Amino acid sequence: MGLGDVLPGGGVSKTTGGILGPGTPTFLTSKVDALINWGRLNSLWPMPFGTACCAIEMMASAASNYDLARFGMERMSFSPRQADVLICAGRVPYKLAPVLRRIWDQMPQPKWAISMGACASSGGVFDVYSMVQGIDTIIPVDVYIPGCPPRPEGLIYGLMMVQEKIRQESLTKHFEHRAEDPATVGAPRANDEQVVGLTGPFGNSTRQERLSTGDIPTPESDEAADTIVT
Amino acid sequence: MTEREMSGLDAVGEGPVSSDVTESASTQSTGDPSDHPSVEALLERYGDAVSRHRLNAGDQWVVWIDPTRSHEVLAWLKEDPDHLFDMMSDVTGVDYGKGRPVEVVYQMYSTTHGRALRIRCPLPLDELEIDSVCDLWKSANWLEREVYDLFGVTFRGHPDLRRILMPSDYAEGHPLRKDFPLRGRFSRAEQTRRALNQDVERYYLAEDIVYGEPQYAPEVGTKGSQDGEEG
Repeated sequence: MGLGDVLPGGGVSKTTGGILGPGTPTFLTSKVDALINWGRLNSLWPMPFGTACCAIEMMASAASNYDLARFGMERMSFSPRQADVLICAGRVPYKLAPVLRRIWDQMPQPKWAISMGACASSGGVFDVYSMVQGIDTIIPVDVYIPGCPPRPEGLIYGLMMVQEKIRQESLTKHFEHRAEDPATVGAPRANDEQVVGLTGPFGNSTRQERLSTGDIPTPESDEAADTIVT
Repeated sequence: MTEREMSGLDAVGEGPVSSDVTESASTQSTGDPSDHPSVEALLERYGDAVSRHRLNAGDQWVVWIDPTRSHEVLAWLKEDPDHLFDMMSDVTGVDYGKGRPVEVVYQMYSTTHGRALRIRCPLPLDELEIDSVCDLWKSANWLEREVYDLFGVTFRGHPDLRRILMPSDYAEGHPLRKDFPLRGRFSRAEQTRRALNQDVERYYLAEDIVYGEPQYAPEVGTKGSQDGEEG
């Protein structure tokens, strides 16, 4: 029994030879899903959004020792218009939040996001007034990579998890899964309760008093007085 | 067993020391002012404006000045040929908390005489105002904006006093003050919403950037970029 009997397909040709030699099929059948996913997952172009020490590890991942090019990701896309996967490497202050959101909105579908390191995922040790407590309050995140910073192996493992996610995708479900409402562009991803839940105090910071003096100061605007105080 | 000297590590087990303990020791003047010609001359000429002086870490002289006379004293230190503190390395602030004054710190260096000097001006919490020294040192412009942004100290006569580090529409106060809560005054949801409502391009207005203006030349007016645009 030769390969020609096992593989799906047909058009066996004795004269010109098949794809695996004479007597094998001249074409194969496959699912469109598999073909598209195979193409996508092997040419993911990352959009590097490196703001801190995680970016150094991201650069090391792209350099020769770890060599992201093995997975088709050697082309760091510094334009969000030509990128597939956003790698947010490092802490994001509130002043930078609209920039991150705009870059995400500028990326064409299909797109994926990786939150690299503790700060991007949860704010990390920076549980302070100026820092975004996890970028998932701003953009949807596919893979979180723990570590401070994660080693290049960690980033590569995260990217391979994105590849695995792409492998599971299907054209029939794809569009509803990735649908984006233009009205939500630039808006927080989560509602108030979700943001408060996501950004709750972690670790040592739970022991910190909210106010160092114990007095509750009056907010400077009336609008602020109506908001929830965590 | 021989007695060894105290090293920095010996204090590790004792934990943090309250600032009240060191305060009583730090209110006394230390050091011999005759070691530093500028401190000596300062005490002689502006003795009534100097509240105390101190020698830090072996060679760093610190002089406390009455904030109402700071501009006069600093201008003299810059322009007097015996001192010529022509480089303003840093302008910063310290809030010691517990109702104590916020101190504005000027770190200066004289490139002519090779001397450093630190001037501190204690400002009571209910009157956080001091004269700007932008007219003396151009480098003080952004540094004073930083002190204004983070401590809420108003610099009289500053050409462009607005926030520099925090978002320009930041409404929660001045973050490095001791009465500022660590996580800010608004909820995280409100902070996120406000952050995403920022107009990021307002930080980089084209009219703020004036190309080719010789704003660092001494003969040009002291008002900064705004005036040069019209001319």
